[in-house]
Amino acid sequence: MGSKAAAITSPVPVTWYPTLAIFMLAIGLIVSASFFIYEATSSRRNHSLAKELTTGAVASFFLGFGSLFMLLASGVYV
Amino acid sequence: MLSPVLHRHCHLFLVTGRSEDSRGLGSFQDMARSISMEAAGLTLPFLILTFLTISAASSTNQIQILNAERRIDLSSHIVKVFLTLKVENVMTAPASEIVLAFPPAQADHLALVKAQAAIGKKKKKSYVHLDVNPTELPDAPNGTKYFSISLLNPLSSGETATLEVLYILTHSLEPFPAEISQSESQLVYFRDSALILSPYHVKQQTTFLKTPSTKVESFTRVEPTKFAGRELKYGPYEDHPPYSFSPVIVHLENNSPFAVVEELLREVEISHWGNIQITEHYKLVHAGAQHKGVFSRVEYQSRPSFSGTSSFKHLLASLPPRVHSVYYRDDIGNISSSHLRSDYRKSELEIEPRYPLFGGWKATFVIGYGLPLEDFLFESPDGKRYLNFSFGCPLAETVVDKLTIKVGLLLLIICFHDAVVVLPEGSKDPSAAVPFPVEQRLETKYSYLDVVGRTVLVLEKKNAVPEHITPFQVYYTFKPIFMLAEPLMLASVFFLFFVACLAYLHNDLSIRK
Repeated sequence: MGSKAAAITSPVPVTWYPTLAIFMLAIGLIVSASFFIYEATSSRRNHSLAKELTTGAVASFFLGFGSLFMLLASGVYV
Repeated sequence: MLSPVLHRHCHLFLVTGRSEDSRGLGSFQDMARSISMEAAGLTLPFLILTFLTISAASSTNQIQILNAERRIDLSSHIVKVFLTLKVENVMTAPASEIVLAFPPAQADHLALVKAQAAIGKKKKKSYVHLDVNPTELPDAPNGTKYFSISLLNPLSSGETATLEVLYILTHSLEPFPAEISQSESQLVYFRDSALILSPYHVKQQTTFLKTPSTKVESFTRVEPTKFAGRELKYGPYEDHPPYSFSPVIVHLENNSPFAVVEELLREVEISHWGNIQITEHYKLVHAGAQHKGVFSRVEYQSRPSFSGTSSFKHLLASLPPRVHSVYYRDDIGNISSSHLRSDYRKSELEIEPRYPLFGGWKATFVIGYGLPLEDFLFESPDGKRYLNFSFGCPLAETVVDKLTIKVGLLLLIICFHDAVVVLPEGSKDPSAAVPFPVEQRLETKYSYLDVVGRTVLVLEKKNAVPEHITPFQVYYTFKPIFMLAEPLMLASVFFLFFVACLAYLHNDLSIRK
């Protein structure tokens, strides 16, 4: 056997994957919904590019991580 | 008179080939059989005359084998030979190695040679593993192949030592008759020598052959020979010079399953997110006597003890514990005739191919399963990560003609062991530590979310037996920060989508104001 080497595990516990996937995707979809509502309701002149970009960035961050955890939870270990 | 006997002696070596060659050599078998009967009487004095004139190398005079006992186990299609040697150093110079000799036909089919030395007396006996390496000796008669065992402590003058050697031969049981029908039992030839081939003088030697059943059609008699029950005993023979060889043929009944995997490709995909996915592609063949005539399913099912005695329909694969998502399929689709039983120490997958396998029939299938990462991936003291995985085919009692492991790391760089180890993207410097010689090479594979491609480390081994199921390691370096690349890649795709939406909404594309 030799010395007990440290076993390497995933940075996030595997049992959390489905929960994390659902929560992150939910938040990401809510933020992206807020992005589109902002686009649709406010008039052309009042658009604030900074607000749009930050909303888009936050939404894409959550959607990206959420889809990664969704892939991992469904067995596609990327 | 000397040259015809020598010529026929060489033919004897040629005839011991693979079973594919035996089909056209029916007459050779009979000739060889009759020749061996007469050659047995002539060989001894002939060999003593010929080989005494060959000036033996001084090293072969150094060691004398006091007692050699060889037990050959013929109960399965893999021949296991246990050799116990008691050697003595008769010269003044210390001896540090013992040389084992094998006839060239046997050496081609050697899968494994292991040696250990017994330390201590009766009650406190313990065994120490010794290194065995192939070696060459000058003026080797008739193309003999050698293996040298390195002793732990050199043997001083007059000292004796006891060595235990295990060697395994594959494809050494030749089915004869080469073709049988469904209701016949399988009979095979086993060719070997009643005298143990050795470059040293052997004072006393005995050979025991263990047969799988009490039915032995014939065997060559080299007095004293005794056959009782399931054991055939050749010997004891006293005082034989080096390179004494007395070929014998034993024609016995062997109905054990002759399962041979012609090609096995094992892909090991490592994902640092917590899973190791293994896919094994098998090409299984029944390497016993070819099946001729019709296959009657009615006869096969109604009289199982009479019909298809040499066929097999179940295979057992030993998988590691905590295995999940096991699948068993082939080109047609999923094969549902399988059972998985697991406990905390191992999992057993019992598979049943779509049809029972008779002589010459083949089956191709894929077995896949997933394993938790923490059981196999460890961190070595110098900061590298290594995968500790077991080489070899998990199927019990099978010979693998060509085993390839591909190890791949999931994540950027994948290493495949052929056991193909697929290493994750971002891994660098893959290297493998395997206890026996294998061929290595690197490949690239593109898998999920890959940009650069994963490095694949491919290890190939020919002629693997169940004794080769030993752990091996693949070392590589990997920075954990690379794991972030995947979610960031996904996030940037979504961000590009939002930016595209913004660009569309901000630009006025109307033709008319």
